[in-house]
Amino acid sequence: MLPRFSGLAVPLGSVLFAFVAGGLIVLISGANPIDAYQGLLCGVGLLCAGGENPALELSTTIVFLTPLITAGVAVAIPFRAGLFNIGAEGQLLVGTVACLVVGITLSSLPGIVLVPLELLAGMAAGAAWAGIAGVLKATVGAHEVVTTIMLNYVAQWLVRYLIIGGPLQAPGAFSASSPISVNGRLPTFFPASNSLIVFGLPSSVYRVHTGLIIALVAAAVFAFLLWRTSLGYEIRAVGQSQKAARYAGVSVPRTIIVTMLIAGAFAGLAGAIQIAGVDKQLTDKYFNDTTGFDAIAVALLGLGSAVGIVLAALLFGALHAGGAVMQSDAGLSSNLVLVLQALILFSIAGNFVGQISRLIPGLRPPPTLPSELPPAAPLMTEAAAPPPETA
Amino acid sequence: MSALGDIGHLLLTANLWQATLAAAVLFLLPALGGVTSERSGVVNIAMEGMMLTGAFFAVVADLKLHNPWLATLVAMVAGGLMALIHAVVSIRFRADQIVSGIAINIFAAGLTVFLVNRIYGVQDVGHVVNSELLPNINIPVLDQIPFLGQVLFQQNVIVYVALVLLVLTHVVLFRTRLGLRIRAVGEHPQAADTAGINVFRLRYGSVLVSGVLSGLAGAYLAIGIANTFVPNMTDGRGYIALAAMIFGKWTPFGAFIACLIFGLGEAIYANNSFIHISAYLLSMLPYIITLVVLAGVVGRSTPPAADGLPYIPGSE
Repeated sequence: MLPRFSGLAVPLGSVLFAFVAGGLIVLISGANPIDAYQGLLCGVGLLCAGGENPALELSTTIVFLTPLITAGVAVAIPFRAGLFNIGAEGQLLVGTVACLVVGITLSSLPGIVLVPLELLAGMAAGAAWAGIAGVLKATVGAHEVVTTIMLNYVAQWLVRYLIIGGPLQAPGAFSASSPISVNGRLPTFFPASNSLIVFGLPSSVYRVHTGLIIALVAAAVFAFLLWRTSLGYEIRAVGQSQKAARYAGVSVPRTIIVTMLIAGAFAGLAGAIQIAGVDKQLTDKYFNDTTGFDAIAVALLGLGSAVGIVLAALLFGALHAGGAVMQSDAGLSSNLVLVLQALILFSIAGNFVGQISRLIPGLRPPPTLPSELPPAAPLMTEAAAPPPETA
Repeated sequence: MSALGDIGHLLLTANLWQATLAAAVLFLLPALGGVTSERSGVVNIAMEGMMLTGAFFAVVADLKLHNPWLATLVAMVAGGLMALIHAVVSIRFRADQIVSGIAINIFAAGLTVFLVNRIYGVQDVGHVVNSELLPNINIPVLDQIPFLGQVLFQQNVIVYVALVLLVLTHVVLFRTRLGLRIRAVGEHPQAADTAGINVFRLRYGSVLVSGVLSGLAGAYLAIGIANTFVPNMTDGRGYIALAAMIFGKWTPFGAFIACLIFGLGEAIYANNSFIHISAYLLSMLPYIITLVVLAGVVGRSTPPAADGLPYIPGSE
């Protein structure tokens, strides 16, 4: 085994594990795993059996993967600082709200001004939301896992309130906001025309939009920030050892807050891209949005690197697109995708690949966890003053 | 009449406090599980998923067996099995317990809907008939006490069970040798191991307890309060339980007080027609209160010292 590729053993092995274990679950439930996986593969345009248009499926996959990249970065940056941002979902949701509010109130502005403003508003809202967790962590030591979970739910209920009976509810709609105006939308790659035929379908059906470029740039910015700037150095230093970082002159509380602000901005950007690029309005679809949670799997599976995040986002984007195909072709719930995602998380967290390869003689076990990731986070300990007295 | 006056009037009704207790128990059961698990040093944010699993299997079993007691047992076993996954992954495989907990929650959300589709087709699950739900029981004589009788003794059977479990959890954790050992394992596993305590066995047991209690809460939700299963029907209640556990500083009675506060909020909303605040805004309150508590405004909330740290025998 070439050492260069051994780093890929954990993510690839985990995906393999998930598909094998997920296949067993499908089998036990009395269905055919091959049918299921054929449907999922159609997400990347392969083996589409039900007459789906591969190009359209690929377009759907790209639409799904776009926010996963930026949200994945929002989880990966705090990982480097030894922080666990479970709050990408909440940060994304306030990002959608901010983008929408700007898009509606400033709808008369030309697109070249309005769209950047929308995206910036989404980033600012996301940053502020994550900043709450950052400040609480840096000042009173409140664990970011707990605070971001709470902030997720506050954001979820906020969205429900805003579009059901709240100020953003569109007149006459039950649970939807008004759409942003046409000049507030990210351009799509294909013109919204019904007469132009692309890959056998009118070009208007392809929703793939320029948010993809923004997401890829965001991934590149993440890599640059982390490895080429002093802030990136400080983030990594804090993640390696807070004590050592302090001796090196790094302000740990400041770095924690800045890290969370940046992470929140990326997650908010994901939300803004969704509104400006695909959905145009907030709907009840966002009540069940899981992008921010998928992002955790994306960041872990992508080993916290920019390229890895893009590849992992591609996988989950394809699974989501393929899940819909599987549901219509094989009659299996697209929620199987969540099962697979959970299995991938179990495998990565428990290092199943390392454990299994240890059982095979002659095979060198891969490194336990990717070395860039912090070791199993020393949860809640740094905040711990004296242990709680017993009642 | 002013809204404040209305609330004041409402606070004096037995109906309100009866509903408060009924709602609080839904949070209390998983919170007790969380307290037990985290006292032993295993972080548990998976109550949501274990509860959802319990709710699903309670309905499936009740529709099949036509017996709410057996269905509740099935729900507790199902919750326990989910907890077993969390335990194996985080204790045996020393996984990051947060990641494992998230995975359990995603797994439960995905698996339940996948199975609804497999078992019942695309349609909904169907309804459990009233006679096969977990019953409300009025305790004879005691239920005639003015006010308190209605609040405490005219409740669903699970409410009584939960109150017994509350006392039991407190007594076991703080008044028995077993509880001392569980807490020792959560505070300083190395020392506990040196003293001959089996760290792994206690942690496995404690995590399983959290799954069984969450499964019981799921059964209470699905075949006690509701009469069916809908996707994601727990809707964050497992996370409110987590909040209650933190709010209550990892003690059973502390968590119970938090659950009562959260339950009171639900009950006030359900029992009035004059508060013109959106239900959705009120639903934020438990989470905001918890954030305020975490911000140190109401004193520090400190977890067990070894909470979340995998135990590696022979380590420092």
